[in-house]
Amino acid sequence: MPASPYAIDVQDLGIRYNLHLTRRTTIKGSLAEWVGRRQRDDHFFWALRHITFRIAHGESIGILGPNGAGKSTLLLALAGILAPDEGSIRVTGRVSSLLTLGAGFEMEISGRENIALIGAFMGIRHRVIRDLTASIIEFADIGPFIDAPVRTYSSGMRARLGFSIATAIAPDILLLDEVLGTGDEEFRARSQQRIRDLVTRARAIVLVTHDLNSVSEYCNRALLMEKGQVLHEGPPEETVEFYRDRVRKRKARLAEEEAARAAAGLPAPVTLDGFRAPGRPG
Amino acid sequence: MRLGLVRLVMRGVLDLRTRGRLLQYLVGTDLKRTHADTVMGQVWWLIDPFFSMAIYAILVTVVFAKQIPDAPLFLFAAILPWQWFQTSLVDATTSVTARGNLIRQIQFPKIVLPAASSIAGTITFGFGLFSLAVLYLVYPGRLSPWLLMIPVIAAVQYVFTLALGILFAGVNTFYRDVQNLLRHVTRIWFYASPAIYSVTALKGSVFGLVLALNPFTYLLTSYRNVAYYGMAPDWVGLLSVLLVSLVLLAFSIWVFKRIETGFAKIL
Repeated sequence: MPASPYAIDVQDLGIRYNLHLTRRTTIKGSLAEWVGRRQRDDHFFWALRHITFRIAHGESIGILGPNGAGKSTLLLALAGILAPDEGSIRVTGRVSSLLTLGAGFEMEISGRENIALIGAFMGIRHRVIRDLTASIIEFADIGPFIDAPVRTYSSGMRARLGFSIATAIAPDILLLDEVLGTGDEEFRARSQQRIRDLVTRARAIVLVTHDLNSVSEYCNRALLMEKGQVLHEGPPEETVEFYRDRVRKRKARLAEEEAARAAAGLPAPVTLDGFRAPGRPG
Repeated sequence: MRLGLVRLVMRGVLDLRTRGRLLQYLVGTDLKRTHADTVMGQVWWLIDPFFSMAIYAILVTVVFAKQIPDAPLFLFAAILPWQWFQTSLVDATTSVTARGNLIRQIQFPKIVLPAASSIAGTITFGFGLFSLAVLYLVYPGRLSPWLLMIPVIAAVQYVFTLALGILFAGVNTFYRDVQNLLRHVTRIWFYASPAIYSVTALKGSVFGLVLALNPFTYLLTSYRNVAYYGMAPDWVGLLSVLLVSLVLLAFSIWVFKRIETGFAKIL
């Protein structure tokens, strides 16, 4: 297969959640639904739809958008954790997502054993992870706790060990979700240094963030997403400006409606800023 | 993208073969977890089956003493492999749902999870065999070279357990009813298997058909043949169970691989 000129090639990607098949599904519920023969369409929530973009080697893309826009779902899809329901994703090179901040630990075994276990889950070769173990432990800096069950760790220690494992290998394609400020001041400084290292070594980067400044700083292109679709694509400054403008307009519109309603003597409505598919953590 | 049945099954088998190290770590974790924080730690692997054997032994010498000679051995030879089946199946069924966090964060072949559960169960069974060995100190006359066939019978049982475990693990991810239902089904299944009675006791009755269709009739009879009667296992029965299990295993892997991509969405 010839090497693709693109690190990531996403064509007409769609990912949907079956709203009637969430974690609390029981056979009884499904049967009732099947017997009821409801419309098929309202079963699905499209978290992403008709997403098409390409990222060339050497590029760094920022993804902006309000809560519920589908940014995290997109990262999960690029990481291969969610499979496309429509369209395709082609990724050339080793992908690593820094989503792994400690929630996947096995509580009853030690930190050291967890390094081996999670390394094996990530598909890193045994010899590689064995050689990296010392540096992972050093970076996590949790002292003698490394040989105690993870159950005994503080959440900060878990996060540090998780970060240390997730960043131990420099990926070709780096997927970053913004939640990277973990631990104390000292650790945060070190972790930011390490991310900068990974960023310089990666051949392509996808950064999801609410921090508009970091988009301008790190990225050469930005996408604005809303309700599972790409609204705008362009240079970071342009996209950020587009986004700011949109937020301003939306606020103005809401204020107007509010004023109109107040004038008419109606009570203020309860509004939710964005929403998420059921069963998904923020 | 839909792959054909054969290719999907082959991919599942490949998943297991290429992830040997992961399987090894998972099995180790499973075994450690069962007795974490106990003073005697791994010694419990030997003590647990020994105690359950002792309880059965006392119970049956009091209750069945007259009907069945050497009743403790008669029972334990069948109850030990049954317990292996039951715990492995329950563990495998919940193995995917128990790792929801990880599945949402790392992409890996999920089929290793039920496979690891069934391997861990097998190791526990291996330790259980030591307490079976202890029983022969009491009944040395029951020792026979046919005992060496236990690994062969166990291998057939393992294929059957693995097949059901993979299937249930996959379906349970979407329908949690499976794990609840399983508790009751295994209990009924136990009484529908010749564990605390012998097949001959029920030949010809209506219940005979149930026994004839139950793989554990052939498995438990074979264990009892080698461990208690000192005779050959039920070769024909074992071979039939093996063939059915292999077909079931292929089907289970196929189902699992088909629905695996949806796990991350609902966990």
